[in-house]
Amino acid sequence: MDLTRNERELRELYARWLDRATKAGFAVSLAAFLVYVSGLVAAFVPPADLPRYWALPVDRFIAATGAPQQWAWLPLLGYSDVLNLAAVALLALVTPACYARLLPTLLRQRDWLQLALACAQVLVLATAASGLLAGAG
Amino acid sequence: MIDAAAIPWWTWPIALFVVSFAIGIVAVLAGVGGGVLFVPIVGSLFPFHVDFVRGAGLLFALAGTLSAGPPLLRGGMASLRLVMPLALVGSIASFAGALVGLALASEVVNTALGILIVGIAILIWRSRAADTPNVVADHLGALLRLEGEFRDPAAGMRIDWRTHRTLLGLAAFAAIGFIGGIFGLGAGFANVPALNLLMSAPLKVAVGSSGLLISVINSSAAWVYIHRGALLPLIAVPSILGVMLGSRIGARLLGSTPASVVRQLVIVVMLIAGLRSLAKGTGLWI
Repeated sequence: MDLTRNERELRELYARWLDRATKAGFAVSLAAFLVYVSGLVAAFVPPADLPRYWALPVDRFIAATGAPQQWAWLPLLGYSDVLNLAAVALLALVTPACYARLLPTLLRQRDWLQLALACAQVLVLATAASGLLAGAG
Repeated sequence: MIDAAAIPWWTWPIALFVVSFAIGIVAVLAGVGGGVLFVPIVGSLFPFHVDFVRGAGLLFALAGTLSAGPPLLRGGMASLRLVMPLALVGSIASFAGALVGLALASEVVNTALGILIVGIAILIWRSRAADTPNVVADHLGALLRLEGEFRDPAAGMRIDWRTHRTLLGLAAFAAIGFIGGIFGLGAGFANVPALNLLMSAPLKVAVGSSGLLISVINSSAAWVYIHRGALLPLIAVPSILGVMLGSRIGARLLGSTPASVVRQLVIVVMLIAGLRSLAKGTGLWI
């Protein structure tokens, strides 16, 4: 059996977007990390202070440092460690972005079953990312 | 025993990068997310609390499989069509499992994980994987067109494949996703046998598609850890950078590595990680 032209197109499209988004995430993570560890920009919890806290369970860590939960880190992006957290969060958005990019192509190909699967997957990942069901305090 | 307090803080991210780079290469070849190696290794050798190790481990597995995805797809060893229905079920279950897992005692999690992984490794060892299975697709598999082809450079031939037992496969990935979410390790430890032994995907397609599955499934569970604050950039970022570079190399090696070597590597990796988790959970080796 030969792969159809549509399947090859989807595969190449997903691979291309995955490649670009992952490389972008890699670059952002590296840049943000270098800013963080260099001390050029202030950190919410300075790296030199972390050894005092990183052996604590997460709840006690948050109580001791005041580190943000849920989306509370968004207003704190000026801190270099929070900026790093955002870079990590970007990596968790790569897959929904790639799936979302498939949607118009699947629509054009009239592949209704795959389109429904892709839509459902985007919905699931968007719900997870929203934090609505994460149960954090 | 190393006195962690006497070591400058900046040595830990460097050590994490080196360890993660090595795990990244092995993880892709073994078809696991890497978290199953990362969590026990970093949890036992580094001074971080297991909450942050689990959070980093999940993102570690995600980053490694994201990085390996493009070459696996282009080489035909990861099938988007095979991944999409399984990942949908797995990502829902994984999210639920992460919520449950963060409520469990770590000893319970480690013990159960060790038993599970060792059991699966023995299952693969005792079973014969077929690299060119000739199965008849079931109705659902035919509807979803769970079939494909890939060129195996090691065997020097093009291999056509299709899967069967689709409903069982979906049920398996619901269970795998849920369990993976509980352990915070990603779901790779069981993906390969489920795809290869249960659904009869060729081993290399199972290994490649397992990586792509993890990249989808972990994207769901990762948000639980992010929102709970269980991610420290100083632990997560060097680990992620290391595994992303390592997994790129692993993905390139996958195409030219003989299937029997991949199979043996899967078994060894699972046994080591499983026994380590079991020893940790039972308190034999903290």
